[in-house]
Amino acid sequence: MKETILNPILKGNPITVLVLGICSSLAVTVGLKGAFVMALSVTVVTGLSSFVCSLLRKTIPNRVRIIVQLVVVALMVILVDQFLKAFEATYAIDKQLSVYIGLIITNCIVMGRIEAYALGNSPVPSLLDGLSNGVGYGMILIIVAFFRELLGSGTLFGLQVIPDSFYAAGYVNNGLVILPPFALILLGCIIWIHRSIDKDLQEK
Amino acid sequence: MNTNSNVYTVVYTTVIVVIVAAVLAFVSQSLKPMQEANEKAETISQILTAAQFGEKEHWQEIGNAATIKFFNENIANEQAVVSPSTLKALNYKIKEGSVDEAELPYYEFKNGISVIPVYGAGLWGPVWGFIAFDTDYQTIVGAYFDHESETPGLGGKIKDDPAFRALFQGKKVDFEDADMPFEIVKNGTAKGLDMTSKVDAISGATMTSNGLNDAIGNWLKQYVSALKAAQALAAQSAAADTVAVAIENVEE
Repeated sequence: MKETILNPILKGNPITVLVLGICSSLAVTVGLKGAFVMALSVTVVTGLSSFVCSLLRKTIPNRVRIIVQLVVVALMVILVDQFLKAFEATYAIDKQLSVYIGLIITNCIVMGRIEAYALGNSPVPSLLDGLSNGVGYGMILIIVAFFRELLGSGTLFGLQVIPDSFYAAGYVNNGLVILPPFALILLGCIIWIHRSIDKDLQEK
Repeated sequence: MNTNSNVYTVVYTTVIVVIVAAVLAFVSQSLKPMQEANEKAETISQILTAAQFGEKEHWQEIGNAATIKFFNENIANEQAVVSPSTLKALNYKIKEGSVDEAELPYYEFKNGISVIPVYGAGLWGPVWGFIAFDTDYQTIVGAYFDHESETPGLGGKIKDDPAFRALFQGKKVDFEDADMPFEIVKNGTAKGLDMTSKVDAISGATMTSNGLNDAIGNWLKQYVSALKAAQALAAQSAAADTVAVAIENVEE
């Protein structure tokens, strides 16, 4: 059980080890707010769809397996989107994330965990597996967003953290950090650090 | 049970889809009032931003309730806030030519700023926005645009790039040009065109710029006669004021 929860966060991290869900992690990490909501949404979607698919696993006809999984995932994604739109606090962020919430359907982590884990395990471990994969994904998202927002906009969660005196002294926000390529560079650095700490991940 | 038989597969998928549809319909219906309230506040904040009452972020910070309150306190005419979906319906009517002038939304504020909506098709989905006029009903004081699914960083700039919105400030609608009272043109400044009633298009986003151009053109055309009349009326009352002041002076 402990393994199920910890593995996706560390040794089997969906982004840094499996290199899944890269697209959205480049797109939504300009600000911490967006990254946080995205992380939460993906966690809820992976958790619940793994849970539901695991409940249905013995009844799903094998030939339409993927289609049934897609229907379940799509249901969860639309539900998340609807709830984000309904609350005042999240409405603006949902608007900002626009298509990327809908595109959680295509996030390989979701389908990947259902195929690899949920269809062969009972509901509760599947739920935990889904949730912790979401957390593993979200963790990286938040780390990347932290650096991008700090260096690119001088803010954290939209609040200015770099004092005005710095700007007066000639400090300039880095425009490159705002652009997606920098997220890829940052992601590369995170993978590098992760691998140098965890020697098991290095290829012989 | 044989889960691989055709009958089972068909029945199973049907049942799953029906259940999912029912859940979605239920959730969508129960959250609708909240979503509509958010959408209304969003539309209001866009109108207020176009009319230069504050930056878009400002309305987000003060929240929905305060934004709506500010709007209600400052609006001068009785105009219900029209959602993008209603604008879409009106847009069809405009294209058909069957639109009634009374149906067209028009917001007039107590400080004399008036705002009209525009709506049209961008590259991937609808684009819409609001254009605010000064007290002469001809000079644009500000604009705000929004879109459903234009490409971020390219067409998305109509919303995300404050520099694009700023281009509209100080421009004048050409009342004489019945076809194109206002235009978004490629390389207008570079070609040395008269930019009084034109702004430059966004490079890398030709289709979105064209869509927005059509949206503005189609909608503005509907308003030109009303704007002209309002301008004439304003000029008349200003003249009357001057005359009244002159008479007063003479009497003194």
